[in-house]
Amino acid sequence: MQPHVLTIRKRDVTRWLARLLETREVIAPTLGPCGEIVFSEVRAAEQVVWDFENPLPPPKQFLLPQTDPIVRIQVNGHGAQVEPIHDGRQRVLFNVRPCDVKGIAFLTRMHEMEPADASYLRRAENLTVISLACNTPCQLGFCVCSDSGPFLNSGHDIQLTDLGQKYLAEIGSAKGEGSVADAASLFDPATEDEVAQRKKLEAEAKERFGEETCHFASAMRRVSTRRVDDALWERMSDWCLECGACNFICPTCYCFSVKDRGGDGTWTRCRTWDSCQYAAFTLEASGHNPRAQHGERVKRRFFHKVSAQYYVRDGMTGCVGCGRCVKVCLGTTDMPAVVAAIRKGAWHGQ
Amino acid sequence: MDNDVFLPHIARIDAVRDETPDTKTFTLRFREPEDSKAFRFLPGQFVELSVFGCGEAPFCIASSPTRPETFETTIRRTGTLTDALHQLGAGAEVGIRGPFGNGFDVEGARGKDLLFVAGGIGLPPLRSLIRNVLDERDRFRNVTVLYGARTPVDLVYKDELKEWETDTGVEFHITVDNGLPGWTGNVGMVPVLFTKTTLRPESTLAYVCGPPIMIKFVVQDLFMRGFKEESVISTLERMMQCGIGKCNHCAIGHRYVCRDGPVFNYKQIRELVE
Amino acid sequence: MLSVPTTCPFCACGCGFFLLGKEGDLVGVAPGESHPVAAGKLCARGWNAHEAPLWGKRVLQPMVRRDGALKAESWTAALDYVASRMRDLIGAGKPVGVLGSARATNEENYLAGRLARAGLQTNSIDFSHHAPCRPLMAGVEDVTGEPFHSTRLTDIETSESIVLVEGDLARTHPRAAASVLKALGKGARLIVIGCARTQMARLASCFVETLPGSEGDAINGLLAAVLRTQEQEGRQAAIPGAGYDALRRDLEAASASDEMRGAAGWIAAAEQAVFLIGPSGGRAERLRSDAASMATLAAISRRPGRPGGGLLLLLGRSNVRGACEMGAAPDRLPGYERIDNAEALQRMQQLWGKPVPADRGLDAQSMLESVSGLIVLADDPAAVLPMGQRARAALERMDFLVVLDAYVTPAVNAAHAVLPIASLAETRGTFTNMEGRLQRVRAATVPPGEARDGWKVLAGLCARFDARCEWSSATDVLREIGEAAPRYSKAVPQVPDDGWGSSLVEEAEWASLALRASPKEALTSPERPYVLALDGASDWGSDPLVAFSPTLSREYQSERKLFPNGLVEMNGADADALGVRSGWKVKLSSAQGGAVVPIRLRKDLQRGVLLAPYGFRDWVAGVLGEDGVAAVNVERA
Repeated sequence: MQPHVLTIRKRDVTRWLARLLETREVIAPTLGPCGEIVFSEVRAAEQVVWDFENPLPPPKQFLLPQTDPIVRIQVNGHGAQVEPIHDGRQRVLFNVRPCDVKGIAFLTRMHEMEPADASYLRRAENLTVISLACNTPCQLGFCVCSDSGPFLNSGHDIQLTDLGQKYLAEIGSAKGEGSVADAASLFDPATEDEVAQRKKLEAEAKERFGEETCHFASAMRRVSTRRVDDALWERMSDWCLECGACNFICPTCYCFSVKDRGGDGTWTRCRTWDSCQYAAFTLEASGHNPRAQHGERVKRRFFHKVSAQYYVRDGMTGCVGCGRCVKVCLGTTDMPAVVAAIRKGAWHGQ
Repeated sequence: MDNDVFLPHIARIDAVRDETPDTKTFTLRFREPEDSKAFRFLPGQFVELSVFGCGEAPFCIASSPTRPETFETTIRRTGTLTDALHQLGAGAEVGIRGPFGNGFDVEGARGKDLLFVAGGIGLPPLRSLIRNVLDERDRFRNVTVLYGARTPVDLVYKDELKEWETDTGVEFHITVDNGLPGWTGNVGMVPVLFTKTTLRPESTLAYVCGPPIMIKFVVQDLFMRGFKEESVISTLERMMQCGIGKCNHCAIGHRYVCRDGPVFNYKQIRELVE
Repeated sequence: MLSVPTTCPFCACGCGFFLLGKEGDLVGVAPGESHPVAAGKLCARGWNAHEAPLWGKRVLQPMVRRDGALKAESWTAALDYVASRMRDLIGAGKPVGVLGSARATNEENYLAGRLARAGLQTNSIDFSHHAPCRPLMAGVEDVTGEPFHSTRLTDIETSESIVLVEGDLARTHPRAAASVLKALGKGARLIVIGCARTQMARLASCFVETLPGSEGDAINGLLAAVLRTQEQEGRQAAIPGAGYDALRRDLEAASASDEMRGAAGWIAAAEQAVFLIGPSGGRAERLRSDAASMATLAAISRRPGRPGGGLLLLLGRSNVRGACEMGAAPDRLPGYERIDNAEALQRMQQLWGKPVPADRGLDAQSMLESVSGLIVLADDPAAVLPMGQRARAALERMDFLVVLDAYVTPAVNAAHAVLPIASLAETRGTFTNMEGRLQRVRAATVPPGEARDGWKVLAGLCARFDARCEWSSATDVLREIGEAAPRYSKAVPQVPDDGWGSSLVEEAEWASLALRASPKEALTSPERPYVLALDGASDWGSDPLVAFSPTLSREYQSERKLFPNGLVEMNGADADALGVRSGWKVKLSSAQGGAVVPIRLRKDLQRGVLLAPYGFRDWVAGVLGEDGVAAVNVERA
């Protein structure tokens, strides 16, 4: 659809949020405990935090919680009864960053692939994502390397740009339209100057990245043609502590396990986050483990994230350049470090 | 089946048959007639079976789609879930999701000679195809089944094997690694049976299933005898959870054993690289 | 989504994270960037800390055993029953005891101690994780007068030289291993002393491969080399009361390879060095002297004006230090004061308003072997103590066993009375990590069924033995801890209500040092050319917080299923020489006894060494005896 571009005065945003809050759950960055910014449900527009980089936990937990009940099972004298657990709540994710928009788009694509997963899609269909482009890129981010920021040019419901006194609002979908319709009086059509300003801000933001931190293309070639020595993966794995943080914090990781919780005739089937870095991820009942070596597991992660084979299947790289893995890696095997190692064929100079 | 892909459908155990001291065949029938109607499977596909209170695990379908009112799965007792399953009798309810996987290419086998080589608990996945073939016998050329187990006690489908022995449409040979008193058949590992039959590599599709070490020797033997990689077919096993290619447990490279498999030919297996 | 800052309940690194809850159920874990230890990072266990409370088999109601089976009971009736039966036993002159726990809060351990001493009038209080750590603490105390030193994980990161006596740090204390990696990234030199080429050993600048049980030789070699280097460079550390002459004599027999001498040079030259040692499955005296050697090495490498001296004991479980400092030990009062310290004893008697016995009590193992009545607070003797399954048998033989726990553990199944308490995701309290940091544990949901806060249940028991106890909150208990333990008096008021709630327990400066070195011990002989040892001093697989986590327990469950008859690991070349393959059995024989056990190959293990994972120690108990290390002969079975 033709992008529809509006503006809203910053001081009117609270009224817009108040309108949204009337009909849906609004999740936005808020000041959480210990002074950390976290995505959380808000009750009032004032709770939304604007001046910060990005919350450390990504918003994927609102589409795929770490423990996600999906089926209710009951066994009694009348036999077994099962019913799916549906979450059809209308939600708005407000003030997320372009990398997270791309992350959600990736997850949706994964769960749309045949056979589609109704439980995820129900949440995604009822979620409108209103994002704020990054005039100033965050410190650890490298979204420019994976085409997921600092501004998006497609794939957004509504992308806001900070123009100073106003936000530009690029409406990119019907859902976006719907979120603006209720508060239409607060919005004006954008002027040509304002649109030009947004383009300028994007160009300036891209400049600020300086030296690109993550050259995916050349890494992709080497990973896809299996030209990375197993010995290199082994060496790298000594700098990994198998915590799984990279998987859990990553906006595009979605590996999971399925387990039933409960007892005494009532169970809840839950999907739970899992990590390909855990030795037991591929452990078979027989005790055989095709990825028994730590290096094999590190290799697996980066094949999934960076290979051409997956790129072709998924339509994008499995990385949105948010930089979170750099923050949470217990070792030193975050995405930029490993991509550099793949390209150079060396780790720590060896 | 709708896209509540994690929702199990209730099936009742119609019958339980002991195959060996630790293996049983369960005949399952969906409780709801519409589930029965909607459940269309190919030989070689599998289901995710829930034992309520224990969890879920993947098991291959061991019966043929030519007889769709019920389906069978043959399961060895190896852990908590299978232990619990073995305690269940006729009338008990389990959950079924599926069918999953690519199944055997039955169409592609029409008009060809078919060789089935199975070891021990490797026979159940092949049986789904063997029964399908025997139910539509005239659409296939020569059918040869070679089956072996450690001892006579470990043979599965003992009654059915007798049928295959007498069925003129099947060339059937059987062996055991170690005989027992009363055993009059061959003794020796499965490859020993190659000497009992004429193999026609140019026109034959070979289906091999069994313990990894048996598969290794059999497949080596077949290649030495001139079989092409695309003509030798097996099933791969991996830790599986969702069955629909999303949880990523069974991924090999960008292929998923639950979707691109579990049936693969050896050319595909060679190309399956992590 | 409710986001609650709390402290990790697993190892003693003391990371913090947010427990996430929604509509009364735990959902998961989120990292806390601002946490002073974790800084947004966690290990696999931390990331799955919500699983045990959510998925585990929970104790839901108070229960009393009647006619052989545990039956539900009301709280009042259950508490009254426990008190009356314990009183009967004490009245009949039967010995009784209490086990606290390294996975219980300071508040819970403190009240358990008060119950034992003021209530039951016994000093028989201990906790299972104490056993592997006590020799280390004693060794350090021998040298410095203090068992604990407040070296921080960030000190590892800023050190130029790190000495690690290795028990697989990447698996026992991943957060500490992360600090080592960070230091290595900055060019630090890592010296590892261990018997297997583990992850840390592979990254070491100098890996001193020893036989298990001979780590002390290597520490002494390093010690001697550092001393020599310092003497040559005229840079001997001035330590008051130090016995340098005695130390030099002790080290006469010590030898150092060229590589070790190079490593000693790094230590001597470093502006800052850290020394890391954790519990290992060995004889208590040997571990004590190894720890003394490490403390000595730290002491002589210390730069003046640098507190802590860089010595860090890698305690096994989240609250080992807290439990110790709460007095959960037969010879220690709150503050880890000795019971023969008259002033300390007097202070406790005044605070509690009751006399406190002065004679040393029984430790955990002795309690299990000889008491008639035992109260167990969230402890796992069979899983943790070297005596293994003998502990389970002892629990089952007990005249009267009371268990307080959130989870259905083997102890719960053997109990005569079970009192359900809240899990660490459902209660309020504090832990003290191995750095000496006092941190808050907070609830993200309510306990299930009729379970209550552990401190409340213990208060209920105390009330039935001790007239004076008025605690209306965990904070009240913490306040009293501040009065009872001098070391905590400054820390307790500083623990903030909000935020992470972290405060370092103050530490006394090292007084005079008595420098020691451990004696050299030979082990093998031509008849018994192999060394069999326990691998590590703990088994995460049998800890309820791992065992009840579906994600964390998988590998341990698989291992137990595949090796139902025991397990030892050996080098592939040794296996070839013996004609055995993985899964085949070998016959082990030592001076103590013999065993037949299947093997598993292990690539990073040297020839001549067999390791039995700690969780499989029962199968080789007859071979190892009390020592945890033995020279053995190995044959194909």
